[in-house]
Amino acid sequence: MATVVSVFELPSKTASAVRKLKDRGFDDLTTYSPAPFPEVEEAEDPKPSPVRVFTLVGGLSGVVLGFAMQIWMSLEWPIKIAGKAFASIPPFWIVGFELTILLGGFFTLFGLLIVGGLYPRRLDKHYSPRFSAEEFGVVVNCEQRDISEVEMLLRGESAKEVTVVDS
Amino acid sequence: MTPPPGMADTMSPLERPRDSRANIDIIAPTKGAPWPYLMMLAIAIIGVIQAVIILAYQAYVGLGVAGYQQPIFWGVYIITFVFWIGIGHAGTLISAILFLFRAKWRNAVNRGAEALTVFAVMTAGLFPILHLGRLWKVYFLIPYPNQRQLWVNFKSPLLWDVFAISTYASISIVFFYIGLIPDIAAMRDRATGGKKVAYTILALGWQGTGPQWKAHSRSVLHLSGLATPLVLSVHSVVSWDFAMSIVPGWHATIFAPYFVAGAVFGGFAMVLNVLIPVRRIFRLEKYLTNYHFENMSKFLLLTSTICGYAYFAEYFIAWYSGVEFEQSSFWLRLFGPYWLSTWCMIIFNVVFPQLLWIKRLRTNLPFLFGLCFFINLGMWFERYVIIITSLSREYIPGTWGLYIISPVEIAVIVGSFCWFSMWFLLFLKAFPVIAISEVKELIIHEKDHGGSH
Repeated sequence: MATVVSVFELPSKTASAVRKLKDRGFDDLTTYSPAPFPEVEEAEDPKPSPVRVFTLVGGLSGVVLGFAMQIWMSLEWPIKIAGKAFASIPPFWIVGFELTILLGGFFTLFGLLIVGGLYPRRLDKHYSPRFSAEEFGVVVNCEQRDISEVEMLLRGESAKEVTVVDS
Repeated sequence: MTPPPGMADTMSPLERPRDSRANIDIIAPTKGAPWPYLMMLAIAIIGVIQAVIILAYQAYVGLGVAGYQQPIFWGVYIITFVFWIGIGHAGTLISAILFLFRAKWRNAVNRGAEALTVFAVMTAGLFPILHLGRLWKVYFLIPYPNQRQLWVNFKSPLLWDVFAISTYASISIVFFYIGLIPDIAAMRDRATGGKKVAYTILALGWQGTGPQWKAHSRSVLHLSGLATPLVLSVHSVVSWDFAMSIVPGWHATIFAPYFVAGAVFGGFAMVLNVLIPVRRIFRLEKYLTNYHFENMSKFLLLTSTICGYAYFAEYFIAWYSGVEFEQSSFWLRLFGPYWLSTWCMIIFNVVFPQLLWIKRLRTNLPFLFGLCFFINLGMWFERYVIIITSLSREYIPGTWGLYIISPVEIAVIVGSFCWFSMWFLLFLKAFPVIAISEVKELIIHEKDHGGSH
């Protein structure tokens, strides 16, 4: 196996290089961007991010927990307040709403950490500080025999640099 | 946690990796600590220490020293609490609501405003605790199984407030941190020594890969969706602390939108008050341009006008209702013992900002700075007027009283500004005050599309 590391200047070129690589069957690749560019992200992986499932589950857990907590606590030690029912739903909407947002937000954070693989760890071998400047990186793992094709594809999309780093 | 060798080690040395201008300019303010900065930080810390000493004295002697006496038991602490919560609204508004509206100009100001939100909420959150006589019993507000076999009263607006403020604080911190991660990674790549270790831990292995950016963008979008109703709800809930009671001047249905508009108005004024000197001191003129200040000025003008409408509506409804208590309450606001604060509120919040109709003034930064200072003062007076005038003269003349601010309260207000400033000053040296990745997004987009944006 070999690794081809390339550096791009523009997101449109990066995205088109990634699309072409994937069309040719080179799926084992990673992109690095200094800022969010949907075209690059879509080219690398067109599937929608599963973070939304986390948000949904968090929000639903929050609203259920919020109402369940209030209703149970009001009934567990019933005290008549202002002539209202013990478990009086309208005022419970406030805390129910706040917990929906709270858990929705926390679950979104967990979703980002899990889906994005974010935890204090060593960086990828081919990651470079240039990718947190204004340049884009495309790192492709391929067979030895495919190196020249990959290199040609990358150069064809105006890669600034293409380097075969290990084999 | 030594970072691994970067690609720079393995790639051709012919082309030296050059850094982006945005990284260099925006990270620069975090380096070094010149003496004016250290002096300001020292003043802020001294201000916090004096407030802590005064509060220890208050906790020992009792709330009487803070001027708590019949009939006013909600004094400067609650006024300042509402003031700081209001300040905390601008950050989320800029980050969440303007994000959903795709207002790209927010990119340069959102980080500073988010930081301001977090620190303002941290300041506000202290006041309900300081306002308790036995402040160590604050945990009674949390529903937890206890020996008294009692649960909290979920029908009380004060408890709604506990949930609203703590949710707002948590979500603001999450939002702030998520936005910071890519920038912390950029700082990690450029730091050395202990700073590098700290940024490496905080950056959580961020590399800007496709899946990371996709998850990040999605998280920001979802958090914006969650934070938008939240930011509108928080000051609504705070307003219900007042509006749910039957005190004349408080029992009004307009309170929620009135408070939210006021909060956004005051928050934007504080953002300008903070960003104008930051821009000048750290030479960020290239990133915080007249265009940003003009847009924020327009927001000030809009929210000031909404506030003006709310003030008018309050007085109109008091008159139109035919309720004697309401009418006399509002009459006393204008011509009673607290007339000065009412007129300050109207002039600073509604009259002065009308000058922003003049385009030249919207980009005149010394003028904006002065105007925003008066708006902040006016917003503090707004809460003073609402709380003090209503409480000092309720239904029974026998319980009427006159409120005078105590020296303890003044020391705590000063302490709160110092506490806020201390955190903001520390933030300036730890993290970039402008969201670097968002600025780079605009720069690269422009480069890619031939300067069409």
